[in-house]
Amino acid sequence: MIRDLRVLKAVMIKDLKHYYRYPSGTLFLFIVPFLFTFLLSTMGSFVGGTLAKEYFYLRTGVENFFLYQILGTNIWIMAWVILEDIGTSIRNEQIKGTLEQNFLVPINKFFFLLGLSFAHTLLALLSFIVVVGSSLALVDLESLPRLFPSSLILLLGLIPLFGLGFVFSSLVIHLKEPYSFTHLINTFFSVVAGTYYPVHILPYWVQWISYSIPHTYLIDEMRKIIFSNQLVVELYGNTIILLSMGIIYMILGLRLFRFFERRARINGGLSKF
Amino acid sequence: MKPLVVKELTKIFELREGNIFSKRKREIYAVRDVSFDVDNGEILGLLGPNGAGKTTLIKMLCTLIEPTKGEAYIKGYSITKEAQKVKQNLGVMLTGERALYWKLTGRENLEYFAALYHLDPSWTKSRIDELLELLGLKDRENTLVENYSTGMRIRLNFAKALLNDAPVLLFDEPTMSLDPQSSRLIRSLIKELRDKGKTIILTTHYMEEADQLSDKVAIINYGRIVALAKPSELKVKVNKSKVIEIEGRGFERLEELNIKGIMKVDYKDSLLKVYTEDSRELLPKLLEFLIGKGVQVSNIKLPEPSLEDVFIELTGRTLRD
Ligand SMILES: Nc1ncnc2c1ncn2[C@@H]1O[C@H](COP(=O)(O)OP(=O)(O)OP(=O)(O)O)[C@@H](O)[C@H]1O
Ligand SMILES: [Mg+2]
Repeated sequence: MIRDLRVLKAVMIKDLKHYYRYPSGTLFLFIVPFLFTFLLSTMGSFVGGTLAKEYFYLRTGVENFFLYQILGTNIWIMAWVILEDIGTSIRNEQIKGTLEQNFLVPINKFFFLLGLSFAHTLLALLSFIVVVGSSLALVDLESLPRLFPSSLILLLGLIPLFGLGFVFSSLVIHLKEPYSFTHLINTFFSVVAGTYYPVHILPYWVQWISYSIPHTYLIDEMRKIIFSNQLVVELYGNTIILLSMGIIYMILGLRLFRFFERRARINGGLSKF
Repeated sequence: MKPLVVKELTKIFELREGNIFSKRKREIYAVRDVSFDVDNGEILGLLGPNGAGKTTLIKMLCTLIEPTKGEAYIKGYSITKEAQKVKQNLGVMLTGERALYWKLTGRENLEYFAALYHLDPSWTKSRIDELLELLGLKDRENTLVENYSTGMRIRLNFAKALLNDAPVLLFDEPTMSLDPQSSRLIRSLIKELRDKGKTIILTTHYMEEADQLSDKVAIINYGRIVALAKPSELKVKVNKSKVIEIEGRGFERLEELNIKGIMKVDYKDSLLKVYTEDSRELLPKLLEFLIGKGVQVSNIKLPEPSLEDVFIELTGRTLRD
């Protein structure tokens, strides 16, 4: 067990070093939420004119448009980066030729994948604290302490996201073409997950999709904590759903991964690109 | 049971070729019915032309590729059923420079893989120091691998294979693209490892390397082992030397050299090379002829057949065609 933890730590440190040495991808996480929020508020006042704020309040029950958008986009971009990075990291190692090397060692693959995820956890948490924390400090200093319970929920929501990331990584190994696939799906998620608007304004059948991905619950829960000061215990419904999604997506992701690993061993695909 | 036993190992790759409308299945027999074993303190050299199946064989032994048929045992553990145990007992170096993380330093690479090999942390540092020293990388240990030269990367890759001090070692073309000095270093290290009792397989394109290092050579062609023996025994099989080298003076007096059995003649200054199918039969006639023409012969050589001759004899191919 201690050996496995050491593997986990080594994978995590290796990935963090890669982030640190390819910094541009990381900057994305910190800047894009603000850009999107600016884009949306400009469009909102362009379309809604002087009544824009009022309409927004009527439909969402939230006065602070800026914070509402920052929460949505921050979670969405974070999920984007996680799904894309986990989804493509295996594929990228395959292209670079290092993937094989990780299959030459006597490790439990689960801890290898978990190590990948842990590097992302740190990054996700950091971006949440910086982006949401600085926004709160700027426009709603009183609510700043709510950053703590919302970070806890974030950690919980990361579990199904990682599971989904493993599903992505298996599909990417199979499809061989990483970015077009992840970009398409991630953009789609931004439309259905309630990133910019409440999910209930979507057509009924689209909401089915919304409620089957973790993004939606995570964003919803964040807003409830920050705007209505709800306690984590009051949100047990969402929390239970996130937890069960964590289990389901994790199992699905690991299953698929094992399946594609086996196929790669048969056709010699671990080193193909 | 010997530390490495291979039994009727076979790998058939299935490919789909053609365009989306008409895909045809095609089977490639990369390795066919290969069996051998290697003992403690023994080096088996796998010699074969491009595409012969050497890498596929190595990758099956280290569980990266699943065999279609057959079985192999590393320290008694089955490669198809006990992959983790097999990997614990293996040190593997696959071809090339791509096996390393280019955005990590030399030392960081070794630290990473040391953790993945479950090396005892109290031992890790000294082991890595030792290996970096051994391969002449100590003063560049903190350079990112992307800034290494090809030769340095290959040496680091070699060090990585030794990290876990495994009893069975597999090296796929360990000296490819190394300069003579680095090659010599790697070869002497491989010999030392053998003398310490390790069980070693190495693949190579270099005849001299196979000849110098291997206790046994397996010549592999189109996935099959066509010969397996000590280098000296293999050479005995090709008992006919095919060249006669004669040193002397007065070759310019020969207008023609027309004896039955001569295939080609080369001559430069004081050295005459005569190519033939069977030098032992030709030699007396040739000497008689030369002396009759007044040539002063000072030295005669019948070079030993090289492994290359054996190879050509057995496969009908040169190593690089
Ligand atoms: N993943 C794969 N899928 C399909 N065919 C493959 C695969 N890997 C190897 N082959 C085929 O198997 C045969 C043996 O290849 P292999 O790489 O083992 O040769 P090798 O002896 O290592 O050659 P080289 O000296 O060029 O390294 C070749 O015909 C090759 O095309
Ligand atoms: Mg090869």
